[in-house]
Amino acid sequence: MSKNYLELNKVDFQVGGITKIKNLSLKIKNKGEIVCLLGPSGIGKTTILRSIAGLEKINKGQIKLKSKILSSTSTHIEPEFRNISLSFQENALFPHYTIKKNIYFGNNRNKENGKKKIDPKKVIKILNIEKILNKYPHQISAGEAQRASLTRSLVSNPDLLLLDEPLSNIDENFKEEIQVKLKKILKEFKITTIIVTHDSYEAFYLGDKCGILLDKTLKQYDEPYNVYHYPNSVNVVNFLNRGVLVPAKVTGQYTLENDDLGLIKGNFVNEHKIGTQVKLLLQPEDLEHDDKSNLQLDIIDKKFKGTNFIYTLKTKSNKNISVFVHSHHVHQHQINDKFGIRKPIHIKHLVCF
Amino acid sequence: MKTFNIWYISSFVISLIVIIPVITVFSSYFESTSDYFELLKNTFLFEYISNSLILLSGVLILTLVIGVSTAYIVSFYSFPLSNFFKWSLILGFAVPPYIYAYSLTAFFENYGTAYTILKNLFGESNYNLFIPKFDGMIGAILSISFSIYAYVYILTRASFYFQSDNLIELGKNLGFTKIQSLFKIIIPSARPAIVAGLSLVAMETLSDFGAVDFFSVNTLTTAIYNSWLSFDDLAFSNQLSFYLLIFIFSLFIIENFSRRKAKYHSPLQGGFKVKKKIKLSGFKSFLAFFICFIILFFSFIFPISQMLYWTFLYPKNFFDLNIQSLIVNTLLLVSLSSIILIFFSFISNYGNRVNKSKFLNFLTTISISGYALPGVILAVAYITFIAWFDNTIINYFEIQSIKKIFIGSILGLVLAYFVRFYSLSCNGIKSSYEKLNNTLDESAYLAGYSKFKTFTNIHIPYLKSSIFFVIILISLEVIRELPITLILRPFNFETFATTAYIYASQDLLEAAAVPSLFLVLIASLFILIISRYILKEDNE
Repeated sequence: MSKNYLELNKVDFQVGGITKIKNLSLKIKNKGEIVCLLGPSGIGKTTILRSIAGLEKINKGQIKLKSKILSSTSTHIEPEFRNISLSFQENALFPHYTIKKNIYFGNNRNKENGKKKIDPKKVIKILNIEKILNKYPHQISAGEAQRASLTRSLVSNPDLLLLDEPLSNIDENFKEEIQVKLKKILKEFKITTIIVTHDSYEAFYLGDKCGILLDKTLKQYDEPYNVYHYPNSVNVVNFLNRGVLVPAKVTGQYTLENDDLGLIKGNFVNEHKIGTQVKLLLQPEDLEHDDKSNLQLDIIDKKFKGTNFIYTLKTKSNKNISVFVHSHHVHQHQINDKFGIRKPIHIKHLVCF
Repeated sequence: MKTFNIWYISSFVISLIVIIPVITVFSSYFESTSDYFELLKNTFLFEYISNSLILLSGVLILTLVIGVSTAYIVSFYSFPLSNFFKWSLILGFAVPPYIYAYSLTAFFENYGTAYTILKNLFGESNYNLFIPKFDGMIGAILSISFSIYAYVYILTRASFYFQSDNLIELGKNLGFTKIQSLFKIIIPSARPAIVAGLSLVAMETLSDFGAVDFFSVNTLTTAIYNSWLSFDDLAFSNQLSFYLLIFIFSLFIIENFSRRKAKYHSPLQGGFKVKKKIKLSGFKSFLAFFICFIILFFSFIFPISQMLYWTFLYPKNFFDLNIQSLIVNTLLLVSLSSIILIFFSFISNYGNRVNKSKFLNFLTTISISGYALPGVILAVAYITFIAWFDNTIINYFEIQSIKKIFIGSILGLVLAYFVRFYSLSCNGIKSSYEKLNNTLDESAYLAGYSKFKTFTNIHIPYLKSSIFFVIILISLEVIRELPITLILRPFNFETFATTAYIYASQDLLEAAAVPSLFLVLIASLFILIISRYILKEDNE
């Protein structure tokens, strides 16, 4: 049996005596993998990171890194001996040191490790913070502070890197660029990373795997594609908020029937008996625009998103469903117009609950 | 239990040391006293209390008017030398009330400096009839007010300074005149700061010993001293202390409460727009300048000139004084107190930081309540406690008396300073420490730094300037301090303050001028060094 790089076994995470997450098990198989944890605010994502870093103790379960127990009911290795780096959500730069000194503070461990070194200059350049090196933390913007803090965490080349909302303060137009660069560095230096974020797009892009934390538990832990297309519970669907659940009746091995939309074809992800009532997940990209179709629904909202439009349509039974249409497609419909949907509806994966 | 570690023990010991005088005072209240108590209770107690109240009201009114008006003028208007007044108005602090009292008397007394000036200008005549006499209660009120109005000035100015410009613009928008804005917006929103400043003034006034003693105004404080010294009745002394403490503790509660409220007015970080000051011209500009100058003149220039005058007039006093030994003694007290205070403040603050325990926090709150204890009470209660401890505990075990170690020794003196000034030092360090986010410690641990290394490499460099600030504050307080030093100092051990007091109490005011002058000059130097910190805005 191959050994996992990081293992969390049935851990309860708590802070100030309150258990935030129960019985969490999670494995990172190989060095260099990136895991993203998604969940609503206040659920305990940060607590998980703090406990892995050793800043909080655990009283149930076990945390193992490279087969060594870091935390358990009887063991607690102090944070300074873990070689785990945590980049805090809020700015945690030392106010009395320049940015450069702050960054090289992380580099000390890099030297001690005797591992493959990460050249701070390279990271500084990639994250575009050359200009602020001689400034003090109070002289730079929140976004710059976050990049500086990220640089400090990266250059220490830790065994495990924990990033708490690493890009939350970075400007939207710059965010995507930083995401690409960050992923490049992490992959190049094979830095095993756990990222906590509330931005699902960020998680889907950066993570090799994504974990969804809801109701004090890890609801789903899978590859981003699967989390999106094969959510394993209604809670996950609601949390990701990328589709609606409509009532339908299973009519055949590959078919469903909905009162408003008619026949729906596709492959069931899970088995359902013919004749059972289910809730079908309908995502915006599942429906196709077709003005010639006899399935015409009322438009109640229209959003222009640059690359695409999202129309919100109302069915006869008062359900709101979203349809995704390419930006250049001819569909100059307005609110209160009718919008045609191609029939029969064909969905590649039929996710039903 | 693991939680009862070194931090608990040290915090517990510190709070115990601070609480002992309070317990002593309260327990002595129920002890029997000599007949003097009955006698005094029926005769003078009313006088002591009413004098204390009159003094308190007078000082509060005067400091309120001076402190708030000067703070308003320098915060909102620009006029010639307004930046100079901004910091020079705190120089009054350098002149302790008792030294102010010496100068006031020296100037206005019969055949005093005022008489000499008039004589030199207009020739011999009986000017004494026309020169006002500022002695007794009025003298005490003036001396204390000019010496400590800066508490109100500093806190009110800080509150004005951090007042949001939006608030004032909103007033303009609503059509308020400047006077309406002042009374409806500016002053009400600075009220917690003003109340906090006045509470400090009140505590200092009730604790004042030197000035009221000099003017023979019998307040509770002088009565405590006299009943101990003249009637040798420690229990009675402590009973009087009890009454005074009730007063002081109510003020302490008000001060704490207002200060907490006042916090809301200071900005956290960033986003702060510096208010544009209104540029005054013509008569208004002159008036603003004149008010500030008059206050600076009476609080600082006047007493220092009087002392300089006497020093030059009687140079013999200068050469007779053993300045070298006074400097050495002062330095010894200042350095010992600073080292001990800073050391324990660090232990307590660091303990609180790493333990995050409510109980520890509670102990710290007790430890810092010592500043509410007037020096006289503290010293008398200290002696009472040591005497009791020596007579009961030490006698019981039949070991050598400890009185000599703790009473009339440098150790005893420093211990009393410790109780009195611990809050100053602990809070000074705490306010900076709180700005250092806890995640920074955690970042250091994660970068492989041990707790000790985090302390030496992160905390100490960060807190360096506030340590310096606290040391200067302690030094300032120690050299100004009179009653504790007077009561607890070793035989033949003098400071500038005690030397000045002794000369003044022997009616040798001209001889008191030299040590007073030295004291004021050193204190002014300290104030100049730390004015930037006190006035806050520059290091934001």
